[in-house]
Amino acid sequence: MKVLTPMRTLSSLAVLGSLLVGALMVGLTAGPSGLGVGEILSVLADRDATGPAADIVLRVRLPRVLLGALVGACLAVSGVLFQAMLRNPLADPYVLGVSGGAALGGILVLSLGSAVGLGYEAVPPAAFAGCLITTAILYAIAGVNARVSTTSLLLTGVVFNAFASAAIVFLASMAGLTEGASIFLWLIGSLSSIRVEVTGWVAAFLVFGLGFTIPLARSLNLSALGGESAEQLGVDIDRQRRIVLIASSLMVGAAVSVAGMIGFVGLIIPHLLRLILGPDHRLLIPASALGGAAFLVICDAIARTILNGRELPVGAITALAGGPLFLWLLRRYHQRVLS
Amino acid sequence: MNPSLTRMLIALEAQQALVGVDEYSADHEPAVATLPRVGGLFNPSLEAVVALEPDLVVIVPSVQQRDFRSRLRELGVEVLELASITLDQILESMQTLGDRIGRSQAARERVVAIRSTWVDVAREASHRPRRSAVLIVQRDPLYVVGGGSYLNSMLDAAGLDNAAAEYSEPYPRVSLEWLIAAGPRVIIDSSTDPVPAIEHWSRWKSIPAVASGRVVAVPQSLVTLPGPYLDHSLRTMVAAIRSADEVSDAGEGAKLQ
Repeated sequence: MKVLTPMRTLSSLAVLGSLLVGALMVGLTAGPSGLGVGEILSVLADRDATGPAADIVLRVRLPRVLLGALVGACLAVSGVLFQAMLRNPLADPYVLGVSGGAALGGILVLSLGSAVGLGYEAVPPAAFAGCLITTAILYAIAGVNARVSTTSLLLTGVVFNAFASAAIVFLASMAGLTEGASIFLWLIGSLSSIRVEVTGWVAAFLVFGLGFTIPLARSLNLSALGGESAEQLGVDIDRQRRIVLIASSLMVGAAVSVAGMIGFVGLIIPHLLRLILGPDHRLLIPASALGGAAFLVICDAIARTILNGRELPVGAITALAGGPLFLWLLRRYHQRVLS
Repeated sequence: MNPSLTRMLIALEAQQALVGVDEYSADHEPAVATLPRVGGLFNPSLEAVVALEPDLVVIVPSVQQRDFRSRLRELGVEVLELASITLDQILESMQTLGDRIGRSQAARERVVAIRSTWVDVAREASHRPRRSAVLIVQRDPLYVVGGGSYLNSMLDAAGLDNAAAEYSEPYPRVSLEWLIAAGPRVIIDSSTDPVPAIEHWSRWKSIPAVASGRVVAVPQSLVTLPGPYLDHSLRTMVAAIRSADEVSDAGEGAKLQ
């Protein structure tokens, strides 16, 4: 394992940071309406601009690109945290059932909301409420017995996700055609229905999540040795578990409630960066935030442009683009290790 | 097995021949509300249909009911598939249905009435300059009427050029950015969202339709159910656009004075 010097941390984060800036530029430039770069820059310079170009760049693309970055960061960071806490490489942000709760809340409003006068704008709050309820249940299970195993947490998550997807299938079969289409999109994950107003909220949860978990990075490194060894080295495993559980759940809930269940970002970005940068969480957590953000912004730019004005859910692109990329890196890494 | 087909049968005064309908029809058509229900597009009940011992099952061609259709045929039940995506398909389907149930004359009269309304409306519209338009089916995710739908013919007859006609499918899912860049001069919103159409679209001031007050709300069922009364639907849509024009023109006139 390479030693993590402040120099290496800074240079790695600087590279990822410029990658993110580049991704944001691509995100602002890409779109079906073929605006020139000059036009985009002149609109960006004038916040009060009016006209189609201003509406497209400032009010459609900019909020979408920013929110895409925030959602990508939330998902990748919570992926890292869950993988570390559960010591399970297959863990992703959805493994503990938080997403199932959020999906159930959101889809409840999507399918039945119109009957009680709730429109699409009620979906994110409902999804977030679903996430909070699930987190509370998980926390209660993790908190009742101080010695709760990661296995019980994982099993609770699996059972909860199964319950939520059964309930979703039930709701979807009662829903009409238009609601059915919305539910389908929501399950794949899409950034097309984002609202500017929620950007601040998602940002707040990301900052909160990073603020609470980056100080835990060293103790997460030690947990990799196994629960007992870590405790002998002075890690308060229960406290760590509770903080990670709440911080990650809130990040996942914020991301899922605005964008639906975008898959793969939370699984492959952490692994990808671990392959490149090594397993030290002091670097891995902030690096995942930047990498996840850049990855989702690029995927969404592809989703917006590939079908000429038609929308493709970004969740389809993350898996299509992310899967092969990850397998290629994994193969290269093994070749390097073996040679 | 489909609301537009049920409507056609009722319009042809053949509802007494019906022994069962799909859920949507039963919920929305009082004339058949008491009939046995046999499921919907995604969940047709083979058993419920077979139990009613029908002479004929009428469905629309769909991927969702492909297995349902072949199972019915295997069981020796006659299945009639009637497409209802384009205007010609709908009219042809109505004639075929009329012929099959012994109501050819009634079907022919309906088809002629719709065709002649189309010609009349198109003639009235030809006196005015054509405008670009978008017909919104659903706001979020955004679905509009594309070139492949009978609604495209409806817009055309009303003197509107469908900005989404470049998409060949009936109901493409487009991006908001596409809508703003297309800049239609008329927006017709048939979504069921509780927020009023004018309020919903008001924040996109750069769309000419929004700037000039040509955002028209129409009830979803009236315009978007491909049924036997397309002539009424077309008239309703034209009247809604006309009244938006009058309100906006009056407003602009007042501003000028």
